[in-house]
Amino acid sequence: QPPGRPELLRCRSPEKETFTCWWKPGSDGGLPTNYTLFYSKEGDKSIYECPDYRTAGPNSCYFDKKHTSLWAIYNITIKATNKMGSNISEPQYVDVTYIVQPDPPVNLSLEVKKQVDGKPCLLLKWYPPPLADVKSGWLTLEYKLRLKPEEGDEWETIFVGQQTQYKLFSLNPGKKYIAQVHCKPDHGEWSEWSSESYIQIPSDIELKDV
Amino acid sequence: LPICPSGSVGCQVSLGNLFDRAVKLSHYIHSLSSEMFNEFDERYAQGRGFITKAINGCHTSSLTTPEDKEQAQQIHHEDLLNLVLRVLRAWNDPLLHLVSEVQSIKEAPDTILWKAVEIEEQNKRLLEGMEKIVGQVHPGEIENEVYSRWSGLPSLQMADEDSRLFAFYSLLHCLRRDSHKIDNYLKLLKCRLIHDSNC
Repeated sequence: QPPGRPELLRCRSPEKETFTCWWKPGSDGGLPTNYTLFYSKEGDKSIYECPDYRTAGPNSCYFDKKHTSLWAIYNITIKATNKMGSNISEPQYVDVTYIVQPDPPVNLSLEVKKQVDGKPCLLLKWYPPPLADVKSGWLTLEYKLRLKPEEGDEWETIFVGQQTQYKLFSLNPGKKYIAQVHCKPDHGEWSEWSSESYIQIPSDIELKDV
Repeated sequence: LPICPSGSVGCQVSLGNLFDRAVKLSHYIHSLSSEMFNEFDERYAQGRGFITKAINGCHTSSLTTPEDKEQAQQIHHEDLLNLVLRVLRAWNDPLLHLVSEVQSIKEAPDTILWKAVEIEEQNKRLLEGMEKIVGQVHPGEIENEVYSRWSGLPSLQMADEDSRLFAFYSLLHCLRRDSHKIDNYLKLLKCRLIHDSNC
């Protein structure tokens, strides 16, 4: 039997410089089936094939910097082919401008510090995802932290804007805390949460300091 | 209190401050444009295939703008500033008409109208700010020409509703796109000129 109709699932750009699309194969009709991604770009009548089927894993197409333009609509289709025939997905129209979802921030560190005034605080620091070019201003990231006692259920969420460190003063001596951070471009989607970081607040912190 | 109270003599807002304000405005304008487009798309464009016809339809397409980071970083900052000015100017006229014509859309929600009014107003403010920025960066170099004329008013007033809705869709699609470009370029310029590309 000819293959079933494939479906373009999603496209995502982690740093507004490259992007990847994933598709879901249809039924293969019991025969070896091959998948080809075709695309055309606004302002260019030619139809091209996916430049790289490997980098992003199975059933995906990776568009490197050379093949990625912003503010232009890509018309993308997937063709499934086997010995009995072929089937083409619904065309999807993608503008990389609106599919930006960064990777999580990295190296979240937690440290109990004593301020100049002697007051203890929890200093959280992190770094932007390595792929994101924040320095040049090409990508502007905002961050949100979440924190909870290890045995607790409720996360306390704090939006911290564009800064990459934050001081927390409400500490419970002797408690162990879990923290995570995630980020969002100025116009785009929140990343996944970073891996968890832990800290044990010393029990000997004087309560009057808290 | 504004940093430079109006009428004060010899008082000049710093370039860094001008950029801070411009970036806040451009961010806000794009957010509004994006919301307005999404709202219109959800309410009036579902299943009509407007996206396929909106391709290559922006009146600012004749302005050659950087399409990726490399191109944007290679362009001289004065040229990029002038480009931002041209795109902003190219939107003065259509935004003016958008405000009046949106009211003729059947059951147009107030939220779309309010956004159209707000964007038109903020676009003018951003243009003023950009002229100050260019005036400081490159004194004596302010062009006034409008490079890409907008001729879309008749299509916003067509009798056939489908055609008219497509005209609105296309305009809002282009506004979302160009406001994002402006916002992106300004954030890049701010990092380059104010923070020595070390934001």
